[in-house]
Amino acid sequence: MSRTIRSTFAVSVARLSLTLLSLTLGSYAADSATAPQVHLDVSKTSPRQVEELTEKGILRDYRLAWSSLAQALELNTLGPLDGPFAGEAKRTLRQSVLGQQHAGLSTRYIGQTHQVEGVLYSPEGDVMELHDTAQYQLQITDGGKVIHDERVLMHYVVLMTPAADRWVIRQLQAVPNF
Amino acid sequence: MRQFFSICAVITLAGVSFAQDIRVPADVTAGNDAVISTSGSGKATFYLSGPGVARKADVNLGESIPLSSKELTNAGSYLAIVCSDACHSGAFCVIPDKPASLSFLVHPSRVPVALNDAVSGIAFPFDQFHNFVLAPGTVNFQFTAGKASLLAQPVKMQNGAAWFRTTSGRSAGALQVSATLGDIMAHRVVQQVASDACNLKVEGHPSPGGVFVQTEPVHDCAGNLLPDGTVVTFSATQAHGKSTVDAPIKQGIARAQISASGPTTVSAASGVVMGNELRLEAQR
Repeated sequence: MSRTIRSTFAVSVARLSLTLLSLTLGSYAADSATAPQVHLDVSKTSPRQVEELTEKGILRDYRLAWSSLAQALELNTLGPLDGPFAGEAKRTLRQSVLGQQHAGLSTRYIGQTHQVEGVLYSPEGDVMELHDTAQYQLQITDGGKVIHDERVLMHYVVLMTPAADRWVIRQLQAVPNF
Repeated sequence: MRQFFSICAVITLAGVSFAQDIRVPADVTAGNDAVISTSGSGKATFYLSGPGVARKADVNLGESIPLSSKELTNAGSYLAIVCSDACHSGAFCVIPDKPASLSFLVHPSRVPVALNDAVSGIAFPFDQFHNFVLAPGTVNFQFTAGKASLLAQPVKMQNGAAWFRTTSGRSAGALQVSATLGDIMAHRVVQQVASDACNLKVEGHPSPGGVFVQTEPVHDCAGNLLPDGTVVTFSATQAHGKSTVDAPIKQGIARAQISASGPTTVSAASGVVMGNELRLEAQR
C-alpha cells in the first residue's frame, strides 16, 4: 500500500517537473520570438565549392549558434555556448555573459533574420568564411527594466570550422560593411 | 584600413533611444583608450555593452566617461548607454589593430612527390588581441626544400584571407612553406615522400627449403628511394599452387624467403606497379 502511494507521488512529481520544464522552455521560445530565420547563399563561395550536405550542416549549425547566443545572453547562462562556439568567439561570448551577470544586465535578440553569404571555403574544406547581414530587435535590460530597445541592422564576419559532428563558430566579428 | 572601418556597425532601424546627450568616438582601434562625453548635470547610470564586455557604473552628467584599453580589445560594435530620467545611447566600433600573427593552415602534412595541386594552404591575419583583420594586403607564400628556394607566390588577400594550391616538388624530403605579411611570418613543413614505385626489379636464388628473393633498390619515377615500410608483395607460383609474402622495404630493398619446391615463378608488386617475373628451380 505504502509502496503504491510512494510510486503515485513519484509519478506526480515527475509530471509536475516536466510541466514546469516545458513551461520554462516554451516561455523562452515565445519570449525570444522563435528561432532565428537564416537564409544561406553559397553560390559564390570559392575556391572550393560547397557540397549540398555541407550547406545544410552550415545552415543548421549557424541557426543553432544564434539561437544559443540569444539564450545565453538573455538568461545569462554559459551552457548554451558550449556546443556551437569555439576559440575566440566562445571566449568573447563567455566574457559577455559573465559581465552581464556581474552588472545585472540581460540582452535579448528578438526577431532575428540573417542573410548569410558564404564568401570563402578553404581548398581543403577546413574553414568557411561567412558574411551575415543580420537584423533583430536589440533589447537590453537592467534588473528587468528596459534601458535600450531598437531594431538594428548588423554586419558580421564569421569563421566556421568543422568539429567532430558539427560546424562551430570560431570568430564572430561585427563590421561596418563588407 | 581606417577608411574601411569608417562608420559604426549599428544602424538603427526603429526604436526609442537617441544619442542626444551622449557623444561616442567615431571608431577606436582595439586596445586603445577612449572617452565618451555626456551633457547635462546630475547623477546617471552608464552602461557599456560590446563583444566581451558588459558593465555598469555611476557617473555624473556633463563629465567625460573614460573607457580603458582593456575593455576595448575585442573588435566589433559597442553600445554606450546613459540613463538618468531617460536613457540615451550611442554606438561605436572598435576596429582591429594591425596584423600581429597569421593563422596558416597547410595540407597535407605528407604528400607524394610530383603530384598536381597536391599542396594547399590558407592564411588569415589576426591582431594582437586575436581580432580577424580584414584590411587588404598581400601575403607572400614561399616554398623551399633544403636551402633551395623553389617558388615564391604573392597572393592578394580577399575577404581577409589568402590561399594557394600547388604541385608537390620532385624530391623527397621536407618542403618548407612560409607565409609572410609585412613583418610577420608563419612556417609550416610538408613531408614529401617518394611516389609509386617505378621499374620494380626482382632478383633471387634457390635457398634451403625454397627460394630467396629481393628487389633491387626501389625508386619512384623521379629517382626517390621509396620509404622504409612500403610493402612489396612477392608471389611464387609452382605446379601445385601459389603463395604470397608481404615484405616491407628496408633501406630501399624488400627481401623474402619463400617456401617452394621445384620450378617456381616469382613476381613482385608494390601498389599497382608490377615487377619482372623470375624463374627459379627451388631446392627440395
